[in-house]
Amino acid sequence: MFTGFEEYAATQMLGQPDSPPRSDGKLYFSEEWQRTVFGMAMALAKDGHFEWEDFRQNLIKAIATWEKDACSRETTWDYYECYTTALIQVLEQYGVIAPNELDKLPNAQ
Amino acid sequence: MTSLFHYDDDREANSAAKVRALEALLIKKGVLGNDSVDAVLNHFETVAGPFNGARIVARAWMDPEYKRRLLEDTPKAIKELNFPVGMDGAEGEHMKAVANSESVHHLVICTLCSCYPWPVLGLPPYWYKDPVFRSRGVREPRAVLSEFGVSVSTDKEVKVWDSSAQIRWFVIPERPANTEHLNEEQLAALVTPEAMMGVALVSANS
Repeated sequence: MFTGFEEYAATQMLGQPDSPPRSDGKLYFSEEWQRTVFGMAMALAKDGHFEWEDFRQNLIKAIATWEKDACSRETTWDYYECYTTALIQVLEQYGVIAPNELDKLPNAQ
Repeated sequence: MTSLFHYDDDREANSAAKVRALEALLIKKGVLGNDSVDAVLNHFETVAGPFNGARIVARAWMDPEYKRRLLEDTPKAIKELNFPVGMDGAEGEHMKAVANSESVHHLVICTLCSCYPWPVLGLPPYWYKDPVFRSRGVREPRAVLSEFGVSVSTDKEVKVWDSSAQIRWFVIPERPANTEHLNEEQLAALVTPEAMMGVALVSANS
């Protein structure tokens, strides 16, 4: 039933630790930036800038790291924060952006 | 949402700024197109999702002859509605509709994996893959349904359908009373993904 990359990509995540938040059968975004980062990762993988599976592994790791540190840091859960971290990591791993390139931009803080 | 999900404003602003900067950087590098994000999201928001299933159900409610064709040959009847390619199933995965009535209530689960026709029903809820839901759905479907708020009278039969890689089941719920004045689009707006899995009824007030 995969008619496009989008369906393949979303199906890989469903029921897995990196399942995206959803409501009534639709993706759930509480803020516009969450929608943007979700779409960016999928569009970039679709265009071949990295393997979707490699992004997912970064995301699963980011979620596991948050879970491990959650009690000590007392930070509330945010799926799309982990998602953003994973996207930046995979872009650095594939050399699409240089390590820390984003941090050097004045408007990224 | 509760305070468990409270998110302080600074953190929210930082995340938003970081994503905006990343998007701008990737567009500047020529890696990301200006409309790439919307194009991808468009797939989930307008091409594949529960709105497709809701349209099928509303048509079946409006047109008994369509309902008959839908139950007889589901992929063929879905094709009649001119959905984007693939919504009727592809590569050996067949959609199969069953209809709730005065005498039977249908429940769809998936005991082996999490087969789910999401281009038509949308992304599955978390509990769909829960092993407890899956095993109890088979063993004691009436109890599970009642926990979902659906009480099925004892004189009504409950049938459980196990979705698989070959057949993806979905339920045509009963049309709620007092909806004679609604058009197809208004009826479709009442249909939820849960109703098309059999764990909810459709209400005219929803």
